[in-house]
Amino acid sequence: MKILLLEDDVASRAHVERLLRAAGHVVDGCASGPDAIFLATSQSYDVLVLDRMVPGVDGLATLKAVRAAGVRTAALFLTAMDDVDDRVEGLESGADDYLVKPFAGAELLARVAALGRRPPIAEETTRLVVADLQLDLLKRTVTRAGRRIELQQQEYKLLEYLARHAGEIVTRTMLLEQVWSFHFDPGTNLIESHMSRLRAKVDRGFDRELIHTVRGAGYRLDATA
Amino acid sequence: MRPPRALESGSFRFAILLAAVFALGAAALLTVVERSVGRYATEAAADGVTTEVAILSDEDRAAGRAATVQAIARRERASREHQLRYLLVDTRGRALAGGLPPGLARLGWRDVTLANPDRHESDDPRTVSLMALGTRLADGAILVVASDTVEIEELRGGLLRSTTAFGVGITVLVLVGGFTVGSIFLRRLERVNQSVERIMAGRFTERLPPIGMSPEFDHLSANLNRMLDRIEVLMDGLRQVSTDIAHDLRTPLTRLRQQLEDLKANAPGAAFETQVDGALAQTDRILTIFRALMRIGALEAGAGPRRLVAVDLSEMMERVHRAYLPVAEDGERRLIADIAPAVTVSGDAELLTQAVTNLVENALLHTPRGAEVVIGLARRGSGAAITVADDGLGVPEHERDKVLRRFYRLDSARASPGSGLGLALVAAVATLHQATLTLSDNRPGLRVELFIPARKPS
Repeated sequence: MKILLLEDDVASRAHVERLLRAAGHVVDGCASGPDAIFLATSQSYDVLVLDRMVPGVDGLATLKAVRAAGVRTAALFLTAMDDVDDRVEGLESGADDYLVKPFAGAELLARVAALGRRPPIAEETTRLVVADLQLDLLKRTVTRAGRRIELQQQEYKLLEYLARHAGEIVTRTMLLEQVWSFHFDPGTNLIESHMSRLRAKVDRGFDRELIHTVRGAGYRLDATA
Repeated sequence: MRPPRALESGSFRFAILLAAVFALGAAALLTVVERSVGRYATEAAADGVTTEVAILSDEDRAAGRAATVQAIARRERASREHQLRYLLVDTRGRALAGGLPPGLARLGWRDVTLANPDRHESDDPRTVSLMALGTRLADGAILVVASDTVEIEELRGGLLRSTTAFGVGITVLVLVGGFTVGSIFLRRLERVNQSVERIMAGRFTERLPPIGMSPEFDHLSANLNRMLDRIEVLMDGLRQVSTDIAHDLRTPLTRLRQQLEDLKANAPGAAFETQVDGALAQTDRILTIFRALMRIGALEAGAGPRRLVAVDLSEMMERVHRAYLPVAEDGERRLIADIAPAVTVSGDAELLTQAVTNLVENALLHTPRGAEVVIGLARRGSGAAITVADDGLGVPEHERDKVLRRFYRLDSARASPGSGLGLALVAAVATLHQATLTLSDNRPGLRVELFIPARKPS
């Protein structure tokens, strides 16, 4: 993917660039709002990664200008501020996701991947299929290898999110935000508790595991080991 | 807090006291004036009677009995409205002149009451009160002169009526004045009170308006403002220090974290990677604490939640319950929900969610295995009461205030994970929502209640 990175701190920019390149992305880094506006409106990117706090034209103003120019590229805000209002304000200005600094590299990569692969228009999918696992989104039923799997509401939501991002790494924070609407980091690892129950129902008794733990990053649902 | 009404105000009470003093003064004045005027009028009447007696005695001595009888008849006719009445009785008790009944022929001063001899119309008084003086003439006959005292009584009555009217009038005036002054004073105080409430809600830069009315009150509000200045400086200092520490240390920690990540990416070797992971985990822990500190600081410095929306507490609590059910199960605790449906308050949804999860996590973490944690939501009045109660070890009464402080941890909790910031954040969220946070004994265990009063969404 081709990614535009706006970050004024040299050390941080180098770190994020290294991170994204190591994951196979092409990165254009810049240090000021006007540069970012110029690049974002003159070239085509898959994802914009913008630091909110840059001197001069800040990330918020940059994104507003880019959106005003008609560019709909998915945008992710990086910020040291983690006030609720800051996040809401960021999302209202046209950002698609929001990540509070400092963040784990895996978190950024997972979110960038999710944003870049986002379908441009909401597709009316009624069925998700991962290997022999099938989710019927209308009936909210799950079958694996033709066998019906009974899931509780939370387990279903969790599996649906994993299935929608099949093959991608989904971090704990993303799951907390998407499945439970928790926009903060709880002290206990509640995802683990839910995940072990989901695994017991989806994977136990089948020859192949579909839910994988990615160490230091999160989880991934796919057919490959 | 209910604003005081004018009738309960100090100035109105003062006015009542003042009115009572006025009424008492008016009563005393009336008594004194009435007595001295009465005495004066009585003396004047007595003087008139004495003079008449002296004149008629002289007449009798000088001009003889017949002239006296004529003089009395003449005088009785001339006396206006029979203010003076006469009687002349000879030694054998026969009435020679005058309209008074002969029975009154006694010597010396007497007060007598007679049927009104001049009563012609129904509204004339039935009786007359007289002040009579009897004298023995040279030949032994008795002369009596009596003066009507009705005028004195009328004078006294008039005095009583006007003084009473004045007393009542003054009392009413004082009460109305006191009420008015009280209302004005309260209106001015109300402005000061509203200002104080805004300051307590977080607008620390606001200052009290002058109270007015008198220099003493302005001096008071000026002094209070100086106190607020001082408090603001102190609070700023405190906040500055903790936020600065958190902020300034966060930047190098962020760099440290990034370097550790780069290190891990570049250096192969499982053992090395494990150590770097350990270092990363520690860094994350420090960063989490800083984040929580800064968040609490921001909440405490904030002027109330800026995005007040209607929050469906029932849905939120159900969500938290479902999220923590497996956690409780894995930790061998029971998590029970007793959540009333469709309870809504206006507030900050995210902060309230975090406050509740903090309480639930505390309950799950700081109770022994097998404990039962009940999370409850109930409508109370126009507000909502969120409760998280466990049957664990509880918090001793003298520690209940302290556990709300940052970094304060019970000795029994030191071994378990946590930063000592969870309840401090709950307290900050409570303050922001003008909610009351109460820790009490669940017999056994701890019961935490967060009561959120109803407010209109902005």
